[in-house]
This record gives sequence, structure tokens and C-alpha cells, in this order.
Amino acid sequence: MSMLNEDVKKNYVQHLSTEPLVKRFPFPFHEDSYRYSNNSRQLESGLCLDITPEYKGEVEEKRALLEKFPMKCYQSFSHTIEAQWEVLDMLIHEMVEIYPDYFTLKKQGDVWIFTNYLLNEQDTFTFGQLNTLPCEPLDFIGRHMQEDLVIVSERDQDLYMDAGQLCFPANWSLVFDLGMTFTEWHSPVPVFSDKLAAKVRDFLMRMEAGKPWTRYNWTLTVEHILPTFAEDFDQWAPKKEKITKENIGDLVHLRVEDQRLFRLPKSNSILFSIHTHLINLNELSENREWLNRFSKIIDDLPEYIAEYKGFSEYKLLLSAWLKETLYVKKL
Amino acid sequence: MQTKFLQVIVEKVKIETSSVKSFTLVPPRGERLPGFSAGSHVTTYIENNGKKLERHYSLASNPEIPNEYVIGIRKSESSRGGSEAWHECIKEGDRLFISNPKNHFPLSFRARKHVFFAAGIGITPFIAMMFDLKKRGIEFELHYAARSKELCPFFPLINEHFPEHSHFYFSELNNRMLPDLMKEQPIGTHVYFCGPELMVKQFSQRAHAYGYPKANVHFELFSPPDMGPKTPFHVKLSKSKKEFYVSETENLLDVLLDGGVDASYSCRVGGCGSCQLNVKEGVVDHRDQFLSDEEKKTLQVILPCVSRAKSKTLVLDI
Ligand code: HEM
Ligand code: FES
Repeated sequence: MSMLNEDVKKNYVQHLSTEPLVKRFPFPFHEDSYRYSNNSRQLESGLCLDITPEYKGEVEEKRALLEKFPMKCYQSFSHTIEAQWEVLDMLIHEMVEIYPDYFTLKKQGDVWIFTNYLLNEQDTFTFGQLNTLPCEPLDFIGRHMQEDLVIVSERDQDLYMDAGQLCFPANWSLVFDLGMTFTEWHSPVPVFSDKLAAKVRDFLMRMEAGKPWTRYNWTLTVEHILPTFAEDFDQWAPKKEKITKENIGDLVHLRVEDQRLFRLPKSNSILFSIHTHLINLNELSENREWLNRFSKIIDDLPEYIAEYKGFSEYKLLLSAWLKETLYVKKL
Repeated sequence: MQTKFLQVIVEKVKIETSSVKSFTLVPPRGERLPGFSAGSHVTTYIENNGKKLERHYSLASNPEIPNEYVIGIRKSESSRGGSEAWHECIKEGDRLFISNPKNHFPLSFRARKHVFFAAGIGITPFIAMMFDLKKRGIEFELHYAARSKELCPFFPLINEHFPEHSHFYFSELNNRMLPDLMKEQPIGTHVYFCGPELMVKQFSQRAHAYGYPKANVHFELFSPPDMGPKTPFHVKLSKSKKEFYVSETENLLDVLLDGGVDASYSCRVGGCGSCQLNVKEGVVDHRDQFLSDEEKKTLQVILPCVSRAKSKTLVLDI
């Protein structure tokens, strides 16, 4: 990799949306009640990347984590290398086609010159030749995007977690889950794991290239922390103990994962991407419809879901705060 | 980025036998085609006399060669016109739309050895599989039945690339391909069948009789056929006492939502199961991909985004 000279840098900042977070946050609910269900929808855009104004900061944070904790953030089986090249191929072409101001790709035969103007970097490698990249293809391309990436292989009529670059997990561990089947890695999820998980797996095995899917997952995170690894539970989980009526709006964040699923036609595996968005409750409350809906959802939420998501301790406080804030806004 | 359809150009039409032609499809200039895994097929969309014809064909070439798909098509008099249109109307240079490659017939990952049984045009998916296995150095053998050498599609190609792996059975020479070939195979062998329905049935039955585990027996299943005509029906809701009429052009979920029913849904194409409702009375015309055949038979449920009623009236438990 090399850094670009000042004069070839493009002025990209103006292209990135400058709208406040509350105007562009992916609010995940379309009903006043939430239960585990297969909430997948067809992904009409067909796109994996979603570049937001947080791009630079988040990509830098990802890279710092990958340097410091390579094993925790990156895992792969060697049989996924072909699928990894396929992922790189798909994503790099999406980058240059959808964001030609930010990325360019020049090809001289199999030699590819990839430029990232957002980060002011250039890389040259030979497509298909592992030793021409500084790291594995999945790891390489993941370092240019905000999304976490997981490769799920379909083998002998089941789905296996076979590779991943994961920097912003919502309380799970890639090292622990690697090599597990779909139902195995979902086994901690109450009720969902009883029957629905197996049905969702069958649904995913019927997924076709060209018809990608998307779904939202959500939870709550105390403080603006993207990397909530299961491995570091002791560091971030106790933060909920300091929540009070006064600081809850600042401390507690709605964490939304924009998840996308693509069938990769060459390797017949599945790419699962996760783009994590965080917004604190004060900011969320600026949209009264969202506040109203979220308040109803929390009041209607079964205990087992609150327990699994890790906020049953402050659910009452949260519920009271949401209602009070709603009441004040209505005045 | 993925797109729903791919545009391709017919680069080459080749006569393989008196009833089989192969078509080489390439992308328009400057564009690329996605790769494919061995065992994949594509859906092709062509028109003949104003009739839209949608057909599925296996990809019969080396998956390592980029930007090229080869399909082999046998002209069949009994077909609904798809293969005839391909044979008679499609010329080199024509453009058409196809789907992305889909794989309902993947190679096993854990198999120690793969044994393929093909009859006639059933050979097509095995060609890609053999290229793949040869590259990866995994053991396989092909058993291939046809009327004669002249009527054996892709005979020269197979002979050129896989001479040591292939066994031919020509009925004109009174050579028959028999299921006992599966008998003396090492543990960990997976068997694959592609050919007329009867042959596939016969070979699967024998494979089970020889003690092959279900997971070691593979055959091609194409996407579900056309579900047949849609008929109108009445729906009654037993709890809210509401009643609606669903015409042949409407779907039940939309009718419920328009009628103020707070129904859940997500994908709206019968894939996710979110919209499932319990049925109290009536016969369901299942059109979804979510419920298994078993569930469709035993559960009294409906996915209203695509499924309908076979009976005049359906009573839902909402
Ligand atoms: C194939 C790609 C997928 C991957 C890699 C994946 C991975 C995961 C992981 C690692 C967890 C955390 C489990 C734990 O507690 O350790 C999880 C949770 C969950 N997953 Fe998936 N998942 C995938 C697809 C889906 C799909 C399509 C659904 C559709 C319903 C789904 C539903 C859920 C649910 C409901 C939870 C619990 C989330 C919560 O309450 O916070 N997953 N998933
Ligand atoms: S909405 Fe997905 S199956 Fe009906």
C-alpha cells in the first residue's frame, strides 16, 4: 500500500451526507410490537456497502482493532480462499461503480490497482494470488468498509460459519462460533432457537444470487461503543450499573444492525454483512413517531428478549423514561 | 452489487448430436458474467411467437473459465416449446436475458469419492463437476448411457478431458448401465443421478437398498413449476367477524391489510414465513417456498402473501 500525493487526492467530504444522525438513522421497527421472526426483506438495491459520514472514523477504528487483536477480529478456514476472492471481486466492483468519486480500479490483466480516495491509499495486487495481498482477501476488502463481513458456506445441506472479519459484534465471538452450523451458533437465542432457526436456515439455503435479502437486528448498548465483543463482556457490560433517570438518555444507545445476505454464485456460499448504527435515546427522541413506537415496543417486550439483549435490569427505568419524554414532547 | 438478470450474447451454436445443440453465452462487450459453482443452472428467458418461455438449463462447462456459460439443449417434441424455440430460433449473435447461476445440485463437500450416473442430456451438470473435481484432485467416476456414440452429447469433450474416469454404455451395442455399479464402492462415496425421471427413481431406490445414507444420494431438482391458475375466493375472519373477497388478481395479505387487519409480514414473496396465519376451515392453495411439503399437508396454516384458497371460502383464526 502507498499513500497518494496531495494533488491526486479528491475532495470527497462534500459528497458525504451532512444530515444529522436522526434524519438518516435506520429505525428498524414497522410495528408497535417486536417478537423474534424471520424479518427478512428483499434487498432491492442489491448493494452491500453503505458509506456514511462516519466512514473514516469507523474504518480507522476497525483497522486499529485488527492490528491489536487479530485473532479476535479475523478468522478463516483455508477452504474459503476462493469465496474470499469472490467477495473481494464483488465488493471492489460495487465500490468503483457506485462511488466512483471515492474509489477507482485499474486493471492490467490480472494486476489490479485499487485506489481509495477517502483514505488516500493505493494498493496493487494480482487477482487470485494470495501472496500479492498484505492479508487474506476478506480481511483486505473489509479494511475499506464500515461493515463487518462473515462468509457462511453451504456444505452438505447445512450452513457453516467459515470465515469472518468482525470488529463491531453485538456480544458474540467469532473465535467461538467459527465452524459451527447455523442452528449451533444461534442456540443462545431464546425461543428463536427452538424451531424458527432451522426454518430460517432452510430459507437461506434457497437464497439465490441476484436476489439478496436484508434484515434489521437491534439491541441496546450503554455508551457509544461499537466493539462489544463477548470476550470483553467484563469491560462494557457493567456500564449499565451506572444508569440513572438523569443520564439514561445520554448513555443508552439503540444499536441497529443493517444485515445483508448475498448468495455468491461461484463458491455457492453466502456473504453476511453487518453495518452497525448507534444513536442515543435523546437523539432518537427527536423523532416523536419513533419515540412513541419504541416506547410501545419496550412495554410489550417479553422478559426473555430483554434478558437476552441484556437490559432487563433497567427495563423499568427505560420504560418510564420513554413515557415521560413522550409526555413532555406532547406538551 | 448484484443484479436480478444478466444480459448475454450467443457467441457460438454447436451441433453436438442430431438432437442436441450447445450454446455458448458470453457477456456484452466490456461487461462480466458472475462465476458459477459446479452443478449450477440458469433460467433463460426467450420469446417465441409472442409467447414468453422460461427454461432452466445446467451449465456444462469448466467453471474455471471466466465470462462464459455453455448450455446443452436437447430438442424435445413433447416439451412445451422451449427447447424447440432454442433449436430453431436462436442464432449466433442473439441477445437474451438469463438469471444468475443457481445451484440446487451442489457437490458434496465431505464426500471421499463421487460417482455420477447420466443418461443422455442429463450429462450437462456433471461436466462442470468433473472439471472442478479434477482440478481439486478428488476421486470421481462417470457412468454415461446413450443410444450410440453418435447420439451421445459431449462425447468428444468427455473423452478428451476425462478418459480415465469415464465409462460409456451404448444401448445400440447392447451395453446397459446398471445400478449395481453402486454396490462395490468405498465408504464415503456419494452418488449423483441425472436423466429421465424413471431412471433417477430407479437408481435412488437401489442406492437406498444398498445402504447409502440419504445424504449421500443426490439428484437434480429444478425450481418449483408454475403453480397453476389463480381463482377468486372469500375469506372470513372468525375472531373479528370481518369478511373479504379476494379476486384472482389480488393477494390475500394485501386484502387483509387494506381491510384494516393488523397482519405481520416481511418479504411478501412467500420466502420468510412472517405472515403465517392459522386456518380454521377451507383448503389452502399453498404457493410459498417456506413451508415444507410435510407442513403443507399437516399444518392448518397459510402464508397469505402468496398462498390462496382452493375452496370457495377460507376461515382464518384471527
Ligand atoms: C447467515 C447469516 C447469519 C449470521 C452469521 C448470524 C449470526 C448471529 C449471531 C452470531 C448471533 C448472536 C448469537 C449469540 O448470542 O451468540 C445472532 C443472533 C440472532 N440472529 Fe442471526 N445470523 C445470521 C442470519 C440470521 C437470520 C437470517 C435471521 C432471521 C431471523 C437471524 C436471527 C437472529 C436473531 C433473532 C438473533 C438474536 C438477536 C437479538 O435478540 O439481539 N439471524 N445471529
Ligand atoms: S411475508 Fe414472507 S412469507 Fe409472507
